[in-house]
Amino acid sequence: MNYVIYPNDDGGVSILIPSPEALETMTIQEIAAKDVPAGKPFKIVDVSDIPSDRTFRNAWEYSA
Amino acid sequence: MTVTINGTTGIAGVDGSAATPAVQGADTNTGMFFPAADTIAFTESGTEVMRLDSSANLQFNSGYGSVATAYGCRAWVNFDGTTNTAGFCTIRGSGNVTSVADNGTGDYTVNFTTAMPDANYCVQCTGESSAASATNDSVFGIKDGSTLTTTSVNVVETIAGGTTGSDGVYYCVAIFR
Repeated sequence: MNYVIYPNDDGGVSILIPSPEALETMTIQEIAAKDVPAGKPFKIVDVSDIPSDRTFRNAWEYSA
Repeated sequence: MTVTINGTTGIAGVDGSAATPAVQGADTNTGMFFPAADTIAFTESGTEVMRLDSSANLQFNSGYGSVATAYGCRAWVNFDGTTNTAGFCTIRGSGNVTSVADNGTGDYTVNFTTAMPDANYCVQCTGESSAASATNDSVFGIKDGSTLTTTSVNVVETIAGGTTGSDGVYYCVAIFR
C-alpha cells in the first residue's frame, strides 16, 4: 500500500491517503499528480515507511 | 388528441396529467406525464410524486409533504484521523473523493474526484472527540484562514480555544451544493 508525501505550507509534511474508490480507476501516480498542490515536490512511499507514532506529528519534515 | 406511433418519435402526442398520466400500466392513475415544456413528472394514485424540471432539477416528495427540489450530497468521506496506524483502512468509505491529505495533527485536506461547480458549497463536518479532547470542547470544521476551492476543502479538529489540534478515530465530511 502506497501513500504520497509532500511538504506543506506550514513547514511540515502532508501524507496523501488515496481512497479505495479512486484506486479502482486511478494509479497512485495519477492521484498524486491530481491532488498534490501545484508546484510541490512529492514522493510515493510504502505505508510502512511512515511512522505510526504521531506524538510529534507536527514536527515531521519532508526531505528530498 | 392524436397519438402518433412511429419509428422516429416513438409514442408521442399526449402530455397526460397527474390524475391520468400519459404512460401508465393497469393502474390508470400511476405513471409518467409531461406537465410543462421540457419537464417530466411521475404520479402515484393521482398525485405527483417526482419531477425533472426544465432546469434539470430533480424534485420529489419523499415525506417532504410536497414535490420539492432535492439537493444532493456531491462528496462524502468517513476516515480515521489517526491515519498512519490503519494502513488501507484509513478511509473507510467515500464518494467523489480521490484522497485525504493528513497535514498534521487534526488537520486534513479532502480532495474531490469531480470538482464542484463553484466554491459556494456547504461543508458538513462531524467527528469523534479524541481522548485528548475528552475534557475539553472540541470543534471539527473548516480550517481557520483556509479557502474553499472547487477541488478541495481543508478541515481541522481543534480543542481548548482553537489552537491545539487533536486526532480522532472517526471523521465524516459531506459536501452539499
